[in-house]
Amino acid sequence: MKARILDRRDVLKIVDLLKRQGYEVIAPFRGRGRDTFFDTVSDENRERIELHLPNPYYPPKRYVLPHIEPLLNAHSGNGGIRIQPTFDDPKRAIFGIRSCDVAGIYHLDRFYIGREFRDTYYERRRKNLFLVNMVCTDPGEDINRECFCMCADTGPASRDHFDMQLMDLGDEFMAVAGTARGEALFDDPIFTRGGEGHLKRRAEILNGVRSHFKNTTRSWFSAAVRQITQGTVLEKTWEEVGDRCLECGGCTYVCPACTCFTVSDRKVAPGEVERVRVWDSCALLGFTRMAGGHNPRRAVHDRRNRRFFRKLEHHFIERELSMACVGCGRCAAVCHGDVGMPSVVEMIRRATMETDNNES
Amino acid sequence: MNPDDNIYLPRIAVVDRVSDEIPEVKTFYWHFEDDADQQAFRKFRPGQFAQVSIFGVGEFPASLPPSPTEDETFFTVRSVGSCTAALHQLKPGDKFGVRGPYGNGFPMEEYYGRSLVFVAGGIGLIPLRSCIVYALKNREKYDRILVFYGARSPRELMYLPSLREWERSAGIECRLTVDRKGPEDEWEGNIGVVGSLFKIPGTNIPVDNTIAFVCGPPVMFRFVIRDLLGLGFREQDIVSTLERYMKCGVGKCGHCCIGVAYVCTQGPVFTYEQIRNLGEDI
Repeated sequence: MKARILDRRDVLKIVDLLKRQGYEVIAPFRGRGRDTFFDTVSDENRERIELHLPNPYYPPKRYVLPHIEPLLNAHSGNGGIRIQPTFDDPKRAIFGIRSCDVAGIYHLDRFYIGREFRDTYYERRRKNLFLVNMVCTDPGEDINRECFCMCADTGPASRDHFDMQLMDLGDEFMAVAGTARGEALFDDPIFTRGGEGHLKRRAEILNGVRSHFKNTTRSWFSAAVRQITQGTVLEKTWEEVGDRCLECGGCTYVCPACTCFTVSDRKVAPGEVERVRVWDSCALLGFTRMAGGHNPRRAVHDRRNRRFFRKLEHHFIERELSMACVGCGRCAAVCHGDVGMPSVVEMIRRATMETDNNES
Repeated sequence: MNPDDNIYLPRIAVVDRVSDEIPEVKTFYWHFEDDADQQAFRKFRPGQFAQVSIFGVGEFPASLPPSPTEDETFFTVRSVGSCTAALHQLKPGDKFGVRGPYGNGFPMEEYYGRSLVFVAGGIGLIPLRSCIVYALKNREKYDRILVFYGARSPRELMYLPSLREWERSAGIECRLTVDRKGPEDEWEGNIGVVGSLFKIPGTNIPVDNTIAFVCGPPVMFRFVIRDLLGLGFREQDIVSTLERYMKCGVGKCGHCCIGVAYVCTQGPVFTYEQIRNLGEDI
């Protein structure tokens, strides 16, 4: 991968370059208090783009998988039905996407277009998406209590799957090209060649950042993967998780790697029906309920178990060559019952320790 | 289907005729508007399913009761939810959408040379009808073929003309039972659950080199499995189809995933050994 150096004052010129190429550029902004959000960059808000800020709860996943997405229109008339697929795939760039979210989009790539039955809608939108990854280097702003990308092996700096990666070296930024279209931006004079000193500075900063993550989840994440795969997590641990789950579906809503959706038809005009897909959540009781009322997954702890099983079970990781948990910590931040991923890993750890103590 | 196709796009189908099967259950004979779709679809395997669209209401998975050796394509559907109720309103000439076929289907070629035992309860006969007709069409490929079928009452026996024909045919041993009969029902046959047919004197069920197909409501499934295991069937020689809430049919929407298996793409046909290891009720 090629790397270049640019002056701190020139970083937002990357946004301008992308806009000139016809991209709608999405960037993170700060609202009031903790609230941060992704929004389209305009002339009016360009100066308010933040380079370091807490990662928005509402993930940028929606730019490849909108939470409500029209799939097709069916027109009835003259004794016939005409079906028209509806595509919405503008050229978009996400400026300042974090490494965990880059991994989330890569997981969606593997899931939707990496296997048989490629998802046309996802594929068209993904092809037009340009990712400018920002490495999390500011412990005060970028890294939250809930972050555990180091355990999920997705951060703080993505190793791949971005078009361009930016890292704050202080007065300068290092830009790394991940794709040919990312490298093409280096033709602009804002980018200059760097030296050994820059590489050394990058390594120092990354080493420093790594020390700001909590340790518990890091050391037990792989153990949780193993125990869930082997089915050795105690039923009582799942029941405890189920007891604390309020079934709000928030964890799945903010997850950058959740893929489930439901499909619904709505009438938009006389004789015209729009079929849309909508994000769905395995936390909700109706997720597996069939017509007639039979529900094979009725108990709440079966459903909670399901979410963690789907994310950490080894067969899924092997099938998608990517884990459905990217360590962003959003589920931990939004969960009212404190059963986000890090807490559940911690509960599995505690239960194992207790069992080990009782056995010895 | 072509890999470049839009996996969510149904093709338009036309209802040819509708026949009442049993109360709440109708059979819809249909064909695709476009003959190319019809030819592509006809390569389905017994045990596969299709996604049926009623535009404005939704889409649901439906078993394919016809055998690929038959000329007509049809669905047999019970009116149980909003989509199936809407399908029941369709008349000949009406249009709807079909995607598929999907799923693995029964590996009928792998069973060549073996005896086939079909055990069905209620509308569980719908997916098995495809296999039975297919096996009879390829009669010389299989050893004995037995059908044990039970319904709640004589009026709820599915595909009655076919059942009567199978009872008379030489190549197939067909035994019927009903849970109960009303005063006005004409019924001379056995009364009892489907497992009671196994115990009728003179019934000789092959076990060695035999595949047992079981489809029916969950409670019937549990009892029949117990009976078959008691007869000496191995878990990997019992096959069934699983039913799950599904939205896409192509391994994307996530609703039908049990354990590590997507029922839509890795199923709906599973051996009992696989079902037991999936860790969820049928």
